Amino acid sequence: MSWIREGELNLIERLSANVLKAGPVPKHVAFIMDGNRRFARKKHVDRQEGHSQGFNKLAETLRWCLQLDIPEVTVYAFSIENFNRSREEVDGLMELAKLKFLRLLDERDKLEKHGVCIRVLGDLTLLPLDLQQLIAKAVVATREHNRCFLNVCFAYTSRHEMANAVREMAWGVEQGLIKASDVSEALLSECLYSSNSPNPDLLIRTSGEVRLSDFLLWQTSHSCLVFQSVLWPEYSFWNLCDAVIQYQCNHASIMKARELHQDEQHRQQLEADHACVAQLLRHHGNGKPADGARRREAVAEYGLRREARVKDFLEALRNKRDSFLTRLASQATVA
Amino acid sequence: MALVYELVWRMLHVLLHIHRTLVTSLRVLLRNWNGQTWRRAVAALLTPASLAGFPDSQKKLVLEISKRARGRCSRPSGCLVEKLPVHVGLLIVEEQPSYTDIANLVVWCMAVGISYVSVYDNHGVFRKNDTLLLEKIVRQQDRLGLEDSKYNVEFLSNGNTVHQDQIVSGQRVVNVLSPEDGKHSIVEAARRFCRTVEQKEKTSKDIDVPMFDALLRESKNIPDPELVMKFGPVSSTLGFLPWHIRLTEFVSLPSHVDVSYEDFLVALQRYSTCEQRQGK
Repeated sequence: MSWIREGELNLIERLSANVLKAGPVPKHVAFIMDGNRRFARKKHVDRQEGHSQGFNKLAETLRWCLQLDIPEVTVYAFSIENFNRSREEVDGLMELAKLKFLRLLDERDKLEKHGVCIRVLGDLTLLPLDLQQLIAKAVVATREHNRCFLNVCFAYTSRHEMANAVREMAWGVEQGLIKASDVSEALLSECLYSSNSPNPDLLIRTSGEVRLSDFLLWQTSHSCLVFQSVLWPEYSFWNLCDAVIQYQCNHASIMKARELHQDEQHRQQLEADHACVAQLLRHHGNGKPADGARRREAVAEYGLRREARVKDFLEALRNKRDSFLTRLASQATVA
Repeated sequence: MALVYELVWRMLHVLLHIHRTLVTSLRVLLRNWNGQTWRRAVAALLTPASLAGFPDSQKKLVLEISKRARGRCSRPSGCLVEKLPVHVGLLIVEEQPSYTDIANLVVWCMAVGISYVSVYDNHGVFRKNDTLLLEKIVRQQDRLGLEDSKYNVEFLSNGNTVHQDQIVSGQRVVNVLSPEDGKHSIVEAARRFCRTVEQKEKTSKDIDVPMFDALLRESKNIPDPELVMKFGPVSSTLGFLPWHIRLTEFVSLPSHVDVSYEDFLVALQRYSTCEQRQGK
């Protein structure tokens, strides 16, 4: 089945969508698509069928999101913990993924028409090589599209992602691009797999479980969390509307909390810059205490130099990631 | 046309607001009316038939529960809950904190056998008023007659021990958390690691999840919370311990103000019935 489910909303759905769009609508929604196996048990079909139905529901939900003016969606497709499942099930999921990415490459034209950019977040090196190559090809093929964005978390856990971000910053230090004192919350965010996306405004988990299961823990610290009891393959347009309404009810308080957090971040960065400058003045100064104006000037200068270093480092990181994917994509043996 | 949709949208949200207010008022009314009935029902559920003539006062109920929890009874049917979390986080997302109610929640947690309780709000208000909170906790413990419960209570704030009892056997920790313990601590640990790389003591390839976990716990050893009870209308964690909450169950309660022991028990029951597959 296709990644893009063509189709229109019926009259009532369209009217409801228009009403919701009169208020604030999330720009980025994340889904934990839970409940495929329970759905399969409920309908007395096998697990593979449950996962397949789950994928179909994903395609449908993407269309609903677009119709609600939600341009970016992130989904939790496969966790590193899922490798603990039976060999049979893991192999089945890998095969399903290969089929889906092959299908995606077939539909390149449709994806271009709709401007869909596909990204895959996770440690791709944990996957079978042929799947890695297919994924790389799909990501490279849709890289320039910018109307809407689908991020698929595959071989992913949030802790791995955060540890990897620290590894990238440490690499930057090793390469002499940045200093350890340049490490900040903003820089860590830029080193995550999700660095090209804004933080999700809304996180939805289906099937009634009320935990995050190691998904986007850093990025969703100030997101609206909605837990719904419906099983993922049974998700409906109305479930999505319900989640968006909850987002709208929480919008004001969450924006306020985000602003508070950002102010605190700025304050901490300024404090860190002050501390670095104080240290520098101690080491390189002539022993006389610097006056207020000189100190302020030094802090501003230091801030600019830090930002330039960080910019160069992020450019190098982007190039490293892009060339990894381009190399993999060129190895793929698909026309 | 856009104006019509906007009007309908506003009406929808006004109706939702009215609905929420009605539900809250009804809940308060029902609780006050059913108060007596609730207490008998809960007592009957939790005590064996021989103790059916159980008295009504909340104090005696809490004492009874705490005795059984400490005894860690072997019969599942006689136990308070099937499984107890080791660390419970109390996440307050309301504007006006009520220190007495928070102290109650902390004391109830300790009484049923939860060994680590953390209290969090995203403004850092509890951290600023930690001595006030400690006073209230001690007062509530005395009020419920739990001062002879024989567990050692360590009260932490900003990673420092503010107060520690001398009584031995059993250990309870109460930790007052703020956003600094969340992303800020993660960044600090990352900076520490990058400094060791700068000084050529380590390489970038040395870092992985277990190592970073250990680094984080070097300065503040906070166990992962199994359960977070969130009090208030905001559906967000607002920066609470992002690294630690990977498998945490979230139970939402409408408010911590005048929260009842029954509400607290129901939240614990919800936790004990959940099943964690851990990816499998």
